[in-house]
Amino acid sequence: MLSVAICGAGGLGTRHAENFEQIPDTEVALVHDVVESAAIELAEATGARVARAEEEIFDDDIDIVVIATPTPDHAYYAIKAADAGKHVFCEKPLSRTLEQAREVLDAVETAGVTFMVGHVVRFFPQYARAHDLIVSGEIGEVGVAFTSRINTMPTGRGNWFQDYALSGGVTLDMTIHDFDWLLWTFGPAERVYSVGAPEKMPLLDYGLTTIRFERGAIAYAEGSWADVGTFRTSFDIAGSNGLLRHDSTQVSTLTVQRREGEEAHAGVQVPESPAERSPYLIEDEHFVRCVLTGEEPPVSGEEAFDSLALALAAVESNEAGGKLVEL
Amino acid sequence: MSTRLSIMSFAHLHADFYATAIGELDDVELVGVWDDNPRRGEEAAAKYDTRFFPTVEELFAPENEIQGAIVTSENVHHKRDVLAAAEAGVDVLCEKPISVSVADARVMIDTCEDAGVQLMIAFPCRYSPTFRRLEEIIEGEELGEIVAIKSTNRGQNPGGWFNDPELAGGGTVIDHTVHVVDMIRTLLGEEVVKVYAEIDTVFKPDLPCDDAGVLTMNLEGGCVATLDASWSRPDNYPIWGDVTMTLIGTGGNATVDLFVEHIDTWHEDADTYLWEPYGHDANVGLIADFADSVETGAPVPITGTDGLKAMEVALGAYRSSENGEPVGLPLT
Repeated sequence: MLSVAICGAGGLGTRHAENFEQIPDTEVALVHDVVESAAIELAEATGARVARAEEEIFDDDIDIVVIATPTPDHAYYAIKAADAGKHVFCEKPLSRTLEQAREVLDAVETAGVTFMVGHVVRFFPQYARAHDLIVSGEIGEVGVAFTSRINTMPTGRGNWFQDYALSGGVTLDMTIHDFDWLLWTFGPAERVYSVGAPEKMPLLDYGLTTIRFERGAIAYAEGSWADVGTFRTSFDIAGSNGLLRHDSTQVSTLTVQRREGEEAHAGVQVPESPAERSPYLIEDEHFVRCVLTGEEPPVSGEEAFDSLALALAAVESNEAGGKLVEL
Repeated sequence: MSTRLSIMSFAHLHADFYATAIGELDDVELVGVWDDNPRRGEEAAAKYDTRFFPTVEELFAPENEIQGAIVTSENVHHKRDVLAAAEAGVDVLCEKPISVSVADARVMIDTCEDAGVQLMIAFPCRYSPTFRRLEEIIEGEELGEIVAIKSTNRGQNPGGWFNDPELAGGGTVIDHTVHVVDMIRTLLGEEVVKVYAEIDTVFKPDLPCDDAGVLTMNLEGGCVATLDASWSRPDNYPIWGDVTMTLIGTGGNATVDLFVEHIDTWHEDADTYLWEPYGHDANVGLIADFADSVETGAPVPITGTDGLKAMEVALGAYRSSENGEPVGLPLT
């Protein structure tokens, strides 16, 4: 049985803790969070203990460290965990800067531990299927690929997402999911051009990024933290031999309406598509299998590095008010 | 007494839309058709129950009393036909893009002005009730300041002369940039000051012109916008294409999908299902406004300069793609 330490007991830390409790080979042994009440709540829910000090994460009885802290702290914990010989699952983005990312990858390589970054979109069945269809040549050479990922501004503890020095805004924090999928599917990117409007909407963010891939495909990615609706994604991938299109708002297998309040028509409508295993669980299962077998994880450190590099290039272009950035 | 219009060339398939729209209007008449392809012109004249004239001189002969001409020739011939109409003292509705070069567009605008005829550009999206409603919403500042726009005007490759740069002045980017740029200019009342574009030929590899284009634009007030202007819809796509916009404002957002109204339709003998469109035909409003300006002398609502500004963004996009860097507008 592998013992897991959860570092960061927010939304994603909680989700991973639930998964590692569910996976037969792992159990959550320890929860660490700089906010003790959050750590206590998650520890009680999983039957784990609360770390009295940060150093306990790196104790001998821990096998796996899951890092789900705000982005700027990823590298600090990942390097210490790797140095202590722990296998590391790190949420995306890998780190806040490329320098940090390289230090993490060096530490991981030196330690010889399993390291995987949470680019979970690859494990969403519609994205996995689209990837396979494209790579197998089903739609010929891809000409123009569009991806969209739309949400309200995430809250997060202390509203850290709204501090772009920490989160990198929607482009680094959320559109990186699509960047990773695009790189995975189309290969290396050559150049990037990105625009947005953060200065006019201090509590919201929106970015439009165009990417040219070395093999020729043109992609443009929409990322929004300026929405008032429910989270949604879509893609439209046009090739010389066909077209792939998906819109998360069009594929709910189950929609529930609940009546609320005095008015007869008052209520809420919640669409969903229940799955046997969530993409996050599939992701964590892959990671555990790689820890057990020593296989290379499906999202390698170098791939996560490239996704970060693309996202940071987009942020750089965006902050310069639209500047061509070569990769 | 109805307004007497003519159509110069049925090279562009929109000529059929405009002829149909004329038929919808009580006080507008299609007096005649001229086409440099006589067979095409004769067929169109028969179809719309009007006369074919083999030469421009015969079309504009005084006894025909033609008041307005709709120019729907190949893009590169717009100048030739607009100048011929201006010489005959006839107001012109010119298909978009206005032309294929800034210099030609300027000559067209100046010649019409000197001849005392009006030049209107065909941007029918302005007559969509949805677009009109969006204008109201933005004018009413319900969305606050518009800071970003994501737009598409994707379509199937129309083939024919649209794929011949000698006649079209380019490929998909010259064809599909101008509608949405005109919509953005109209909504914001601002010009595009910078454009960056990735343009290529990918969907039909042996094509002599571009068929993929993604533009990024900066408006003078700071709004940013992308436009996917690609002929990226497969030949068996259920509809010709789309015009969509997502507008992000400081006070709210709006999404527009102008041609989404449809009934899914299956035929046993077709290899795809089809969108059977329904709803408003914006071409009727376009033709009605043109006919009204022709009849009353009221200024046309869409000017040659509007056409020039929209075309200039497309030309800027080509230059950006060639130079590998953003291009400032207006072009120098």
